[in-house]
Amino acid sequence: MRYYESLYIVNPSYEQDRLDEVMKTVSDKMGEYGFSIINHRLWGKKRLAYAIQKHKYGTFILLHYETETIENLDRFQRFMILEKPILRNQTVVLDTRPEVQKEDETVDESKDSVDSQDSNSEKKDKQKAKEEAKEVVAEESGETEDEVVEEKASTEEESVEKEILETVEETVEETVEVEEKEEVQE
Amino acid sequence: MAFQSRRKCYFKENSITEVDYKDVKLLRRFVNDQGKIMPRRVTGTSSKMHRKLVRAIKQARNIALMPYTNISTES
Repeated sequence: MRYYESLYIVNPSYEQDRLDEVMKTVSDKMGEYGFSIINHRLWGKKRLAYAIQKHKYGTFILLHYETETIENLDRFQRFMILEKPILRNQTVVLDTRPEVQKEDETVDESKDSVDSQDSNSEKKDKQKAKEEAKEVVAEESGETEDEVVEEKASTEEESVEKEILETVEETVEETVEVEEKEEVQE
Repeated sequence: MAFQSRRKCYFKENSITEVDYKDVKLLRRFVNDQGKIMPRRVTGTSSKMHRKLVRAIKQARNIALMPYTNISTES
């Protein structure tokens, strides 16, 4: 039994549904040629080192498979070249059987690869994180400001109430005094 | 005349036996800014590993993970 690894680049403008379609057609073709698939997973969208068919980015899909006969390898290669959504493909012979990878691991790997690939994207992420942090801080500070305003408003209300009370007391005192004076005059 | 101390093989020091063409981070250590593969006398890689390395770099170039040349017209 011989083990092979194919890495192919799909048109970057393809969304998840169409990507699944492409992967399905490839898997069907492999079944037709008698290859048994070990892994068939999305590696991630990456920036290409040079433009292929005027595309700067590409969606990389990794495919591990095994076969006993080498007759259909040429046909498979021809199919991959003729398939329109596939920009480029490369098949490599493996010495040992590749490990079956879970879906959770692929997500982590793609993240790592993206980080290692584009330091710019890392920077962007950091900037985003900073901006988000700033926004959060601003929101918090906004809340505190609101609280402060409320406190101020409450204190103002209290002061107004005090003033009213004082004026009322003063008027009451004045009226009392006036009444006393009138009594005296009488 | 001053003698430079001989550089040791990176792969032997880190006990790496196989070079994967998908590991671009590693491969980038062994090409210059232009994208040319550095000679063995500069990197100090062992003959055996240099052959594997060269193959991996060429595979990575074919699948557009690494550039053939890095002479960009933008800069």
